[in-house]
Formats: sequence, structure tokens, C-alpha cells
Amino acid sequence: MTNNSFVKALFAGSIEQDLIFPYPKMDKEEEENLKLILDTVRQFAKDNIDPVAIDRDETIPKEVLQGLAEIGLFGMSIPEEYGGSGFSTTAYNRVFEEIGSIDGSLAVTLGAHQSIGLKALLLHGTEEQKKKYLPKLASGEWIAAFALTEPGAGSDAAGIQSLAVKDVQKGHYVLNGSKIWITNGGIADFFTVFAKTPVGESGEKKISALAVTRDMEGFSSGKEERKLGIHGSSTTELIFDNIKVPVENLIGPEGKGFKVAMEVLNSGRLGLAAGCAGGIKTLIRMSVDHAKNRKQFNTPIAEFEMIQGKITKMVVDVFVLESMVYLTTGLIDRGDIDYSIESSICKVYASEAVWNAVNEAMQIAGGIGYSKEYPYERALRDARINLIFEGTNEVLRAFIALAGMQEHGEYLKKVGKALQHPLNEMGVLTDYALHRIKKRVATERLADVHEALKNEVGKFEEYAKELHLATEKVLSKYRKQIIHREFILNRLADMTIDLYAMIAVISRVDSLLKEKGEKKTHKQLTICKTFCEEAWRRIRRNARQVDNNIDPWRKEISTDACEANGYQFDLVD
Amino acid sequence: MKIIVCMKQVPVKDSLLKITDDGSWVHETDLNYEINESDHYALEEALRLKEAHSGEVVLLSMGPERVREAIKQGLAKGADRAIHIDNSSFTTQDPFVNARVLAAAIKREEFDLVLSGLQTDDYGSAQTGVILAENLGVPSATIVMEIQKQNGGIKVKRELESGWFQWVELPLPSLLTIQSGINQIRYATIKGIMMAKKKEIKALGLSELGLSESDVEEGQTGLVFSKIYVPEKTKKTEIFEGDPREVAQKLADKLKNEAKVI
Repeated sequence: MTNNSFVKALFAGSIEQDLIFPYPKMDKEEEENLKLILDTVRQFAKDNIDPVAIDRDETIPKEVLQGLAEIGLFGMSIPEEYGGSGFSTTAYNRVFEEIGSIDGSLAVTLGAHQSIGLKALLLHGTEEQKKKYLPKLASGEWIAAFALTEPGAGSDAAGIQSLAVKDVQKGHYVLNGSKIWITNGGIADFFTVFAKTPVGESGEKKISALAVTRDMEGFSSGKEERKLGIHGSSTTELIFDNIKVPVENLIGPEGKGFKVAMEVLNSGRLGLAAGCAGGIKTLIRMSVDHAKNRKQFNTPIAEFEMIQGKITKMVVDVFVLESMVYLTTGLIDRGDIDYSIESSICKVYASEAVWNAVNEAMQIAGGIGYSKEYPYERALRDARINLIFEGTNEVLRAFIALAGMQEHGEYLKKVGKALQHPLNEMGVLTDYALHRIKKRVATERLADVHEALKNEVGKFEEYAKELHLATEKVLSKYRKQIIHREFILNRLADMTIDLYAMIAVISRVDSLLKEKGEKKTHKQLTICKTFCEEAWRRIRRNARQVDNNIDPWRKEISTDACEANGYQFDLVD
Repeated sequence: MKIIVCMKQVPVKDSLLKITDDGSWVHETDLNYEINESDHYALEEALRLKEAHSGEVVLLSMGPERVREAIKQGLAKGADRAIHIDNSSFTTQDPFVNARVLAAAIKREEFDLVLSGLQTDDYGSAQTGVILAENLGVPSATIVMEIQKQNGGIKVKRELESGWFQWVELPLPSLLTIQSGINQIRYATIKGIMMAKKKEIKALGLSELGLSESDVEEGQTGLVFSKIYVPEKTKKTEIFEGDPREVAQKLADKLKNEAKVI
């Protein structure tokens, strides 16, 4: 069973080693350019960007955005022929990581612009659309935004109500509706808007993507939302009042907008993850600096093991995160890859790692961490959004588990059918039989991995099998109902996240070991081993709890609380 | 206008320097390098002159392989091409020798103007530029803050001491050493960085420059570096006692005339 998604194949019990070994390596010339670009970004930030002021004034100064646009940071992912720089996915995300290390508001603004705002144009725009809009977006003359979320449609994105009805004679759609929480809503000129359009003779309403610009009559944006963090970014409502959107502004096929949106978000989630990695690196720098200089009991607190544990977790997390993000971007650059699950894994891992890192950085800082005079509280406020936007971690966990199981489920369904019509479906049955035999006789193994990673490879193989077995078990037990068994989906997702993280660090460290030798890779090897030791234990626990769990009790307690409208066991009756 | 910009790569400003056991130099292996600060301004000034009067900007940098990184930065900002003199085999701290080598490279070019930073952040002798001008047989002006092109020559503003400035006129070709902070340095753009790879970096060795080993021998000018060391710390605390009025007077006097901070 081949599959161009490593994780999907994993669910089906297959380790597609070719996809992820050796660890992707950047082209030397691109790496040299990237180094210079990162130097420029750092220098520009040092000279011009004041995160305190951005947070306090609730805006990013125009000169900062203009300066970044002049450097070329608004068009990194846009091909050169449309005025951009045509970066590879890896280079784009690495620069994005740097931006994330500088300021959260800036990362969100730039991310909304090019990770998602203009991405649909890049992926599905017509030549005319690209020529018309991309040069302006690349130069920063225009900023882009991605408009999907509506009051009634957050995680359930397919439930949007905005409506675009085509007037064939007049050559336009009439767009009505509204959007909320739109990043760059107040400053963008170009919007990728998702709306339902009646399609075909039946007039069934399906989602389509439209290019909408601020200058269109009937377009307006609301006032700036007041938010916990990322104060410098613009977040507003958008209102569409009978906007006439020319039919040539349809992006991608009519009625296929949901797929377009998901594709865009897949790439957006990687940018978000890269930005979080940058944020964690900044937090590590701050924490290490404080821990080395702050003395208690005549000892720098960096020497206390409880502090060391926190720093270690941050370092391991960001190493793992980098490994996953740049493995995934490397796969994208190699081409022909389905990375929907992988990018969701990166997003979930990144947002939780950065949230842990701000929490621990604040704890290491102690009292001053809580003070508004220091950057910790801003970092904490800025980091929190990552768990919510571009797909909440909950909906993404459900997606990771369900999408992973989906193809396997369909395969099993096919096998079921084949059993009823054995003669017509011999192929499927033979495949299936082989698959079963292979599983019994020899588990899929990783070949030619460096000897120093023997234990980690062994654990990965063992627990990859556990994921496959758990998948078969829950599919046969719950069938379609599995979509409602979220306690179980959650465990499968966590197992998957840990497995992808394990294989990403194993692949990265394997390549380092082979290139530089064991002595020079000692530090990275220790990080890899530390992570894998913790990861396989988590996977084992999750695997055991797939059918041996207290889920019914957990469900009951929550249901009770909802029925009682809150907590009902006060000490005083 | 054809302008040659001399650019040196120096250790990053806040580097932790470890001096070698024999005290001859610092350990270079763990250091990060950057373009010498005033050389940045020299390059910016050259790019502005080119933009205003057209012409060509050529970077000239001497140092081991690592200086190519600095060269690329300069090319990314807009210099047209570069010359790299690999001096791994004859590294010297003697400005006279270095100026002789640089002059040999510059003499191969028809030039109108040579710009360099006022001084380097590592040695800070501020000698190489002026000795280079003598080697080239062209007039020079130091600590330049502003350049105006005139018919047949240039007029430049020099910084003197105590807030005094001087305007001087020079014919072309000539050499100027540029003061830091005189202009707003541009940032390399992504496009510039990506275009830099197409620009020429010519590598020149001693033989191509028509020089021999004896030309670059150390000590021939009589300049000898005997030892590098970290300044020894001296700490002096003076406590004034007595009538507050008198003490305040004394303190003010000390701050004004000894410490010279008020």
C-alpha cells in the first residue's frame, strides 16, 4: 500500500522510509542566501522594531511594514515572475521562524498576508489573477487576508453562510454576508473570501473562493477587536453588502472552495509552527540569561535541577519542532506530497510547545515574569492565540486521527466488499492477504539508520505497529461512530504526533551522524534520545488506554456539570 | 564615476575575545565576523554617489575565505563586482604592508575614487587608508562626513575636533576615509541577495598582483607587535568627608575637571 503521506501510510501499518530519509537538506546556494537574508532581518529588527511599542500602541508602525516590504518580506513565496522571490517552502518558513522570534504581532500580520491571505491565488489563481494581484502583494503595496470564519462557522468551516449568487448575464457574483476574526481585516486590500455559491442545475450551495478587494462597492470592515495579545495585528469583522464580484475573480473551480481553504490552511499551519519555533528560541535566550544571572542561596538558579528541567524541555521541544517543520517543508519542496496531517501535527505541537515555553520562562523569571515591565507577560499573551487560530488544536487532533484512519477505513471497507464478491476483487484480497502476512511475519522496519539510534529506531517500529493495531481495533469496534469517540481520537492523535516527532528527530540526527560523526553530533543525539524516551512511554500509555480507560466516567462528570450548570459540590450546601 | 570600496571583516563587536598563549593575536576559531562599521558607511556613500552620478562600485576585501560572506553582503546591497585578496599565507597587522597589497590590486583598475572606513574596529590604527593613498599617488582626506561632486573633482566635509568641521576640495582620482554614522545604511534586499550570486568576485593572489613574498614580510617597516593583552583594571575610590556644602563643591570640581563628565 503506497501513499504519499508518511503519516497516512503509518496508520495503514507501513513505514515509508524513502519519504523521510535522508533528512532534507537545503541547496547550498539557497542556504547561503538564506543566511544573508536572516542577517538582514535581524539587523532590521534591531534597528527598527520595538515589540513593547507595538504591544502598547496596538499597531505596527507603517515604516516597519514598509521597511520589511522593501527588503522583500511580503513576497517571499511569490514566484519571481510576479515580483516575488520564489522561495522554497523551507526557506520561506525559516525566515518566518525569524520573524516569529522578533514579535508575535508581526508574525501574525505577515503570516496572514502570505501564509494564507494570498496562498489560494498562488495555488489556484488563473494567470490573469496572478498578474493582476501578485505584484502588488509582493511589493507590500497591498496586504492580503484570508476570510473564512463566520459567527456560526469556526471549527465547522463548512457551515459558512456568506452567499455569492452568480448573475451570468452581468458577469458577476452578488456577495452578501459577514466574516469575523479576520486577521489584517483593517489593513488588507485583498481578501480571499469563502462563500457558498449555488452550483449546477440543482443549485446546491457549495463553497467557492473569491478574490475580493477593499475598493469593491459594498465592502466594509468593522472596528478593531480588542484582544488578549498580538495587539499590533489587525483583527476585524468584514461585511459584504451586495458586493458585485466579477466572475473572473473566482479562485479555483466553483464549488471546490472548501478544498482550496483546507489546502491553504495546510501551508498556513506550517508557517505558524515555524513562527512558534522562533518564539521558543527567544524565550530560551531570555530564560537562560535570567537563570545564569539570578542568584538565590548564593547560587545561580540555572544550577538548580528544577530550573534545568524547564530549560531542557524548551530546548528539546524546539529541536523536535524544527525537525518536524523542516522535514515537512523539505517533503513539500521535493514535490507530490500530501502533508495535510503532517502540517496539522506541526501546528498542534508548536502551539503547545510555545505555550509551555512562555509558562516556564515566566516561572523561571519568578516575580519579574509577572511584571508588565518585562517581556514575559507580553510573550504569554501573544503565544496563547496559537492554540486557537488556524484550526483549534481540538479540531486538528480529530482531523489527525480521522484523516489518518480514513484511507485505512476505506481499504478495510473495500476488503469487506471483496469478500462478498471474491472473484471480481481478487486483486484487493491478494493485497490484503499479503498485507496481513507481512504484518505477522515481519513488521515494517527502518533500514540503514545509524547504529547510535538503534534503541530509538526499535521503539519507533514497535509503536508504529501499535498505532496501526489501535486503528484496526477502533475501526472494527466503532466503525462510523468513531467520529464521536473523541477521547479515543485524542489518544490516536497524540500517538501520531509523538510518532511523527520521533521519526523526524531520528531522521535529522541520523543524517547529522552520517555527515559529521558521533562525536560532533553528541548534543543532538542526547536531545533525540531524551525526547524518544519520553515519547514512546506516552505512546504506550495512550495505546493501552484505547480500550482500557475511564472514558465513561469522564463523560459522565462533564455531562453532570453541564446539567447542573456548573459545579455542584460546594463545601457549604 | 568608478568607486572602489575597501571593506574589512572584523570580529563581531561584543565577541568574547580569547588571547593566544603567545599574546600575538586572539583565537579566531570561535569568533563570528561582521563588516567593519565605518566600511558600511563607505559602501553606502559609494552606492549613493553611483546612484546620483552613475558609474560602478567595486568592493575590495582582503582576508581568508570567510570574507567572501562580507563581500556577498556588499554585493547584495548593490556593489557591482568584487575583488578578493586571500591573504591566508601572509596575514599581517602592519598597515603599510596591507596598504601595499591593496594598492597593487587597485592599480589594476581605472578608478575615480577609493573609499574606506575611517578605521577598523579590530586594530583601529586608522593608517591603512592614508598609506594606501600614498601608495596610489593620489590625494586623500580623512574622517569625511559629506561628499559633493564638483566639476572635475569633489568637495568634502571633514570632522575636526571639538565640533569643528572643514571643507576641502580634492581632484579626482583621490581617496577618502569615511566616518561612521554619516548616512542611513541601507538593508540588503532579498532580490539583491539573490542577484549577488551572478556578480563577479575576482580572486587575486600575490603573483597576480605582481608582488613577491618579500613585499609582504612582517617587520620590514620596523613596526613590531610585541604583545596583546586585556587592559589591567584600576579602580580608585575616593571618599569625601566633612561639611556637605564643601563636599558637594569638591565633588563638582572633581567631576568637572578630573572625570570630565560635567
